[in-house]
Amino acid sequence: MDSETSSSVDEQVGVPVATSDTRGKHRILAELKRVEQDSKFLQEELEELEKTDNVSTVCEELLRYIDTSPDALLPVTNGPLNPLWDRWFEGPQDSQGCKCLIL
Amino acid sequence: MSVAELKERHAAATETVNTLRERLKQKRLQLLDTDVAGYARSQGRSPVTFGPTDLVCCRNLQGHTGKVYSLDWTPERNRIVSASQDGRLIVWNALTSQKTHAIKLPCAWVMTCAFSPTGQSVACGGLDSVCSIFNLNSPTEKDGNLPVSRMLNGHKSYVSACQYVPDEETHLITSSGDQTCVLWDITTGLRTSVFGGEFQSGHTADVLSVSINGSNSRMFVSGSCDSTARLWDSRVASRAVGTFHGHEGDVNAVKFFPDGNRFGTGSDDGTCRLFDIRTGHQLQVYYQQHGDNEVPHVTSIAFSISGRLLFAGYSNRDCYVWDTLLAKVVLNLRSLQNSHEGRISCLGLSADGSALCTGSSDTNLKIWAFGGHRRVI
Repeated sequence: MDSETSSSVDEQVGVPVATSDTRGKHRILAELKRVEQDSKFLQEELEELEKTDNVSTVCEELLRYIDTSPDALLPVTNGPLNPLWDRWFEGPQDSQGCKCLIL
Repeated sequence: MSVAELKERHAAATETVNTLRERLKQKRLQLLDTDVAGYARSQGRSPVTFGPTDLVCCRNLQGHTGKVYSLDWTPERNRIVSASQDGRLIVWNALTSQKTHAIKLPCAWVMTCAFSPTGQSVACGGLDSVCSIFNLNSPTEKDGNLPVSRMLNGHKSYVSACQYVPDEETHLITSSGDQTCVLWDITTGLRTSVFGGEFQSGHTADVLSVSINGSNSRMFVSGSCDSTARLWDSRVASRAVGTFHGHEGDVNAVKFFPDGNRFGTGSDDGTCRLFDIRTGHQLQVYYQQHGDNEVPHVTSIAFSISGRLLFAGYSNRDCYVWDTLLAKVVLNLRSLQNSHEGRISCLGLSADGSALCTGSSDTNLKIWAFGGHRRVI
């Protein structure tokens, strides 16, 4: 029996039997509460899933968003184009401009 | 109730949880009538095609003397902060390639860095379990170093990632090896909320990554060694809003999709995935079979501003550009001129989506932009 096992260990180190028994019980009770809570959350999720759209409905929304957003990195994109996108290719690009030392 | 009776109840409750999980899994499978690629193909879509000189490396940011582990852009302008194995943060003007700050860190073992919304401060964290804040406008100390302006203490293990809450200079979220995420008030240095951990439902292993929703900054997603991603509402710390299963390995990277209703993940299992936050569905898996048995890990991900492209860095030096709609690799940055000589550890898009920055174990950061001809539709 578990309580007897913990008793014998505790007697060896001089800890009162009742305290160790209670501590073990509290741990298991806390763990039990967590599992029961998880169970409740999962049940809620299952109920929610009954009213949930399937993937194809979501995909339609996704496509619409992508199709209507301008994107600087695409070869073919929605407008408007922003001239600032091309700043990376303009002006002097002196790669040796910074001479600071990392000490 | 006796200990034995409690144990019996625990076993019965665990059995119920397992049954419910299985039922959920089956129900989800029924709703998975297609994936994004299947739907896009049915709509007659064809993949994005890049010409050989469309995406080019237009800057090489040299200065770190160790592997680059993390980078972040400012919300405005062209600045980047990077963190390296050399124990330093460097702040760059990516347009001019100039370094504006080089910060020697009190703890060299840095893993993550972030820019504040105004660009006035940077945050970093790592093996010291602390998130340190530096004000870039502070006067330097006698040794020329920038002082720490705030230390956020409280994590019990390494800080793996950090991100400022959009438009909130005084709040940021960290993820940690202690299995929690924390929302911090930088003004007081105190934890506003702890997500997960010993007393609450949350991740069951180290948390490696975090991403805050740009459209709704109360929501954030975290990725963990427990192979799940979890969605959180920052006002509700007691439990995650949703847990997303599917990966078969550590979830190293999470990033919200630009519309704020979906997010992407990258994992040690070699796949990236796209999940929908409202339905909880896994919408797409991005995986390309390799010839040999080795499956490279995904180290980092980022979406282009429309979401059409997913950039993914891998542990084998590949940096795939995925067409998110057709789930096809349309480019590998590794094959382009001036590409990195080491694995990609981090990547990020500039705020206007015009440039991608990649950081690598080769100690460099590179900027990639579109230099070809654009067709407007």
